[in-house]
Amino acid sequence: MMKHSKYIQAVQTKWAIIRSDDRLIVIAMAGLVGACSGLAAVALNRTLHYLSDMFQQVHHHWWAFAIPAVGASFSAIFLNHVLHERAGHGVPEVVYAVSRHGGLLRFRSSFSRLVSSCLTIGSGGSAGPEAPVVISGAALGSNIARMFALRERQRIVLVGCGAAGAIASIFNAPITGLVFTVEVILGQWQAFNVIPIAIAAVAGTEVSRLLQGNQIAFAHQQHFVVNIVDIAASFGVVFVATVVSVLLGRLLNGMHHVAERTPLPGWVRPAVGGAAVGIIGLQLPLVQGEGYHAILEMIQGSFHPGILLAAVAIGAKMVATALTLGWGGSGGIFAPSLMIGGLVGLFYHRALTWLIPSAALSNEGCFALLGMAGLVGGILQAPLTAIFLVVEITGGYAVILPLIIVSALTSTFCYYIEPGSFYLRELIEKGQYMPPGTDARILSDLTVGELVETGHAHVPGDTLLSEFIEILQYSNQHVFPVVARDTSRYLGLVLIHRIRPYLFDRQMRGMLFVEQIMEHDVPTVKSDDELSHVLEVMEDQGLDALPVVEHDQFIGMVSKATLLDRYRKELIVQAGM
Amino acid sequence: MAERLLHVFRNTPLGRETILQSLYFCKMLGVAIEVYVPESKQFVMYFDHDMVQVDLDDSYLTTPDSATTRVRQLAAVYGITPTFFKPKAFTASQLPDISTAFNFMCCPRSISDLSTKIGLGHIGPKVRRIIRSSHFPVLMTSSVFKAWESITVFYGGSANADKALRWGLHLSGITGKPLDLFTYKEGRQEAYFKDRMQAAGLWDQVQRRMRSWHQADQGVFEEHLFHVPHDALIVVGAYGHSLIKEVLFGSKMEAIQSWMPNIMLLVGPNCMVGR
Repeated sequence: MMKHSKYIQAVQTKWAIIRSDDRLIVIAMAGLVGACSGLAAVALNRTLHYLSDMFQQVHHHWWAFAIPAVGASFSAIFLNHVLHERAGHGVPEVVYAVSRHGGLLRFRSSFSRLVSSCLTIGSGGSAGPEAPVVISGAALGSNIARMFALRERQRIVLVGCGAAGAIASIFNAPITGLVFTVEVILGQWQAFNVIPIAIAAVAGTEVSRLLQGNQIAFAHQQHFVVNIVDIAASFGVVFVATVVSVLLGRLLNGMHHVAERTPLPGWVRPAVGGAAVGIIGLQLPLVQGEGYHAILEMIQGSFHPGILLAAVAIGAKMVATALTLGWGGSGGIFAPSLMIGGLVGLFYHRALTWLIPSAALSNEGCFALLGMAGLVGGILQAPLTAIFLVVEITGGYAVILPLIIVSALTSTFCYYIEPGSFYLRELIEKGQYMPPGTDARILSDLTVGELVETGHAHVPGDTLLSEFIEILQYSNQHVFPVVARDTSRYLGLVLIHRIRPYLFDRQMRGMLFVEQIMEHDVPTVKSDDELSHVLEVMEDQGLDALPVVEHDQFIGMVSKATLLDRYRKELIVQAGM
Repeated sequence: MAERLLHVFRNTPLGRETILQSLYFCKMLGVAIEVYVPESKQFVMYFDHDMVQVDLDDSYLTTPDSATTRVRQLAAVYGITPTFFKPKAFTASQLPDISTAFNFMCCPRSISDLSTKIGLGHIGPKVRRIIRSSHFPVLMTSSVFKAWESITVFYGGSANADKALRWGLHLSGITGKPLDLFTYKEGRQEAYFKDRMQAAGLWDQVQRRMRSWHQADQGVFEEHLFHVPHDALIVVGAYGHSLIKEVLFGSKMEAIQSWMPNIMLLVGPNCMVGR
């Protein structure tokens, strides 16, 4: 018994040490989160394979166009009516949670998108499984953090661990998982984040390798020899990939707006999109599903359709993806970007070879890879993710130099045309994206209510200036709120530096009331206003303090000095200094 | 800082009874009311360590056009000017984020289930999670408005019960309503509870404000609930025990709310203590 209690005590002591160290606990949890999210990714991957094989046998029938419609419709019913979760790509929700709410995500998100994307993609919708596994992994991380009552900062890292484990598992690509998480989800490189996320990525990959074998996602027999001509030609890929990335982004948004304006029930809209994809798929089956098979063919150089058909396939895949996702199907943009990118590279290579037959270019598989990196880099505006993804899923560094050029330049050009990746665009438009390290992000953790300084003596509006001067003699306030005597309703502010001429005019003292010399137009703020907005108002108006008014009652003042002091303290907390 | 109560309005007769109870509570305590008229069936609340998605039933979306007018009319009876909460941020671009920076929140017995269950005394799972996570106490209304004339605190001698008692004393102090205590002793002596109150620094205040102290030891807990006045506001600590204890022994608060038709103020484990 004694031994037993000593053992428990020792375990408790060790747990307390781990618990007290921010890093140790997160590192300990990272492996668990990575493995769980890796498992979720494998489950989705296997189910999609099974469904794809099943529907392959009936795709030649004329009625097969209805399969994606039914699948997308069931997907919407499951998300909106069974789980009451709104559809979406998933990644923006994760970024929003990290950016605004310390990484809090609903538990239902850990499985909802897996099921719904299975229905959408498995039935032939044009979308990718990556975004659904990202939100599933992130939600697992968030809820594991909640279960162990971890701090906000630790929770955000575990959300990243979930995303990293999922991406690493689905592509068998640990570095891509790590880079994607840091570049897209968290938006900042910090030693505190990177180590646990790397561990989670390894755990996710290992789970995938244990259950599916250590296979390179797009293993091929090609030997790419890249010379200076290919590097020069890669600048053309940058141009084409930029144009296609921007078009794809706009097409997705446009289709989404059209669908929203269509007066149809929520479960019918995805069916409309799905049916349209099914009709396209009757003639061009390669636009359906995530398109991994076609990508492999392009890399291997065994993609048989000619240059015109490749061009048609680019347009068809873009439209099919926009129809699937814009009309309410569930899935992500990652895999379609890879496929469209591959087609873009292939089309470019064939067009260039046709125009300049003597050009000693590498084979078209190499350009398919460059196109893939360009599209992923352009749509996600995440150049490193695009580079490492292509390198890891194809198993070689042979094309690394043009890959870096294409990915970096396409991301940059897309950023100038569309400031914000496809994932972040809506959040940016609504002013809800707060990148780490910015004023808005730091201030978002503070509220006006925390900073308001109460205890200001206020004066009734019908106070004579002479009476006010007597109050002033015994006060060190520079600002006096003015209220109605009977209702205490806030009327305005007396700013001492602005009434100085009246103070020294003896004749005026007995004639003027405070409400006649007060400032009527000083903007007021409420306790739930964003502090970034409060700071903006102060800057615009050239004021050092603003009155906080609720229900017409004066609450207190919020000053720039207090705000900046708290800002500095919050910055220290968030930077982990 | 002016204290505020958040009320999610339902434009139905049942919703009218609920808001009347919120308005009466605000009037008694001098608290401002902020009303949220839902535009969609779901909303999200972010707390420090949890997020709660509330799924409302269809009745919450009934005739939204007349909702604000009716709220103003009902509030005018109490001389209260309501303000209306407009969500500024949205999760997944469609789910409104409802602020948790309030001092009280009114929840009908279930805001995530059918309204017919309210009369049967079911606390919806989402209300449970709000109570568990919130810094504010939750006002759980009864099916019909009745002005409360006294305050009854259920005191079981736990840390959460101390918190509830503090709230009871606070409310009694502000409203001037008499305070009653109800204790189910579970084999413990009266001295234990007095010592506990003394240790928490509450005994002097309790002696000054307490009208009666009903102590029960024998018999089933629910049988003693008849001694609680029909027109009392019940203040009770909620979910102060660990999950295992609650699963094994059940929650006293759940038992009280399923037996008592009174309006209740539920003080959760993370709730701040009243002024």
